[in-house]
Amino acid sequence: MSEAQGYYDYPVVRRPVWTWEVPAYFWLGGMGAGAFVTASLAQATGSADDRRAGAEGFYLAAAALVPCAPLLIGDLGRPERFHHMLRIFKPLSPMNLGAWTLTAFTPLAFARAASHAADTGLLHGPIRALTRLVPRRLTELAGSLLGLTLAGYSGVLLGATNVPLWAKSKLLGGVFMASALSSGSAAVTLQAAGRGSPEATLHRLATIESAASLGELAIITGYLVQSGKAARPLTTGRFAAPFWLGAVGMGALLPLLLHRFGMRRHGRTRRSLSAAAAVCTMAGSLALRWSIFEAGKVSSEDQSASFELSKA
Amino acid sequence: MIDGYKRLMNLEEPLPSKKAKGFFTDTSLCIGCKACEVACKQWNQLPADGFAITGNSYDNTGHLGATTWRHVQFIEQAKANGSRQEQRWLMMSDVCKHCANAACLEACPTGALVRTEFDTVYVQQDICNGCGFCVPACPFGVIDRVPKESTFEVGTAHKCTLCYDRLKDDMTPACAKSCPTASIQFGDVEELQQRARQRLGELKARGESTARLYGMPEGQEAVEVGPLHAFFLLLDKPQAYNLPDVPRLPRKTMAERYGWSAAVGVGFAMIAALVFRGGRR
Repeated sequence: MSEAQGYYDYPVVRRPVWTWEVPAYFWLGGMGAGAFVTASLAQATGSADDRRAGAEGFYLAAAALVPCAPLLIGDLGRPERFHHMLRIFKPLSPMNLGAWTLTAFTPLAFARAASHAADTGLLHGPIRALTRLVPRRLTELAGSLLGLTLAGYSGVLLGATNVPLWAKSKLLGGVFMASALSSGSAAVTLQAAGRGSPEATLHRLATIESAASLGELAIITGYLVQSGKAARPLTTGRFAAPFWLGAVGMGALLPLLLHRFGMRRHGRTRRSLSAAAAVCTMAGSLALRWSIFEAGKVSSEDQSASFELSKA
Repeated sequence: MIDGYKRLMNLEEPLPSKKAKGFFTDTSLCIGCKACEVACKQWNQLPADGFAITGNSYDNTGHLGATTWRHVQFIEQAKANGSRQEQRWLMMSDVCKHCANAACLEACPTGALVRTEFDTVYVQQDICNGCGFCVPACPFGVIDRVPKESTFEVGTAHKCTLCYDRLKDDMTPACAKSCPTASIQFGDVEELQQRARQRLGELKARGESTARLYGMPEGQEAVEVGPLHAFFLLLDKPQAYNLPDVPRLPRKTMAERYGWSAAVGVGFAMIAALVFRGGRR
């Protein structure tokens, strides 16, 4: 028998038992967090127009977070025991850290969205009075830190396993973070384009989104190089199309091009191009999470990749 | 104050620790009778795996899982030795390694996975919420979650308990008790390690040049997950038994992973702040 051969072709590690709820939650949670961070940065550093356009991001963050907890709970083997995640605080476990982060971030995002609703005259009476109690700057700062944690822990969680595709490279946390920020800022761009924000604001949002997409492309490249042969279940076969065409093409390259074209146009053409780019970025982010998640299940059955991961 | 906190939180005192217990599985003595698999299933009341035929030798179990806590491998090897074809059959009863640094235990977000007073790794079934994170965390592919449609402890994670209930009553775990050739030996880990070193010396003296121990404190396999409290005497390279050369402990690379993630987040925040500021001029 040859040197590297294992026990028949049996996998070394167990196949992850998670289902579609997990990539859906990573996508929505990341996008909500990215929108919150973008909106908060606009409040802290932007012009009056930017602040007005950016604040819509607080609605998006709250809306994206609504299905997150149900998705996270629905994936459990025993959903009625979700609260056991919160019986201890154990940051060593990314799963525990993530459960706490979602629990803390969700009310902050809702509170900040409510205070924005009061500002724009959507809320009246006692609820409006209640939102006055929300300290905005503090909520934005704390929410941004928690949001960045929520956007960043998901890739670290998958990386903190023995699945070769997820664990070989140390960059998956960065990949998911970049994807969360590009899709989150894209959600804000989409809102701004739809609500007729000034072109200067739209231009800046497109610049920020494009910077995030470029960063995403760079870190995905690093991730694939580091992963080497372990990346094969993602880059070839069943998940090659959703990854290359969906996550890389539609999610990063196409929006970069569309925003670049849009910057030379004005009026409705410009808004339509920006909106189209933003939708592509957001959909590409889902394609990225889903393809890496599903290809990981294939990778877990790759005996030689497991041996490679455990090489002395 | 600490006592008050413990009362408030209803925290139990941990049981006084006892000598570490474990298995020494000497594969050179295994005859592949699968008595351990059966005894384990009977004592722990685990359901049958069905009647699948793998076509791979006499192993129709395939691998450890949520309801299979001992698994006997049948490794058929053929080697050309000059003009002769030499054949040999390696058998090995695989089990949870009860690692000193257990990846499953560190991954567990609920505290369902605990270290017992016998220094073994145990899943508390009333705490586990079936998050499934321990499953891909284990570098040996031991622990698994019961599918939602099963009839047995639905939805939670399971693996060998080292017969925690039997240990409580000073009894030998079911698999070791049933092993007819003493291939599975149960006892204090330190004493078992001595016995293993002695046995390896004997085999080497008899010319078994490829015999080796797997899971001893000095082995490269203990670099990350620590010594295995269920360790093995093997007659070939670990990979022949589907054992990783250096089983990885996810904690070791976690800081670096968070670092890259944070770097991307901070980089984005800086660029976005610069772009927004540019609009104020």
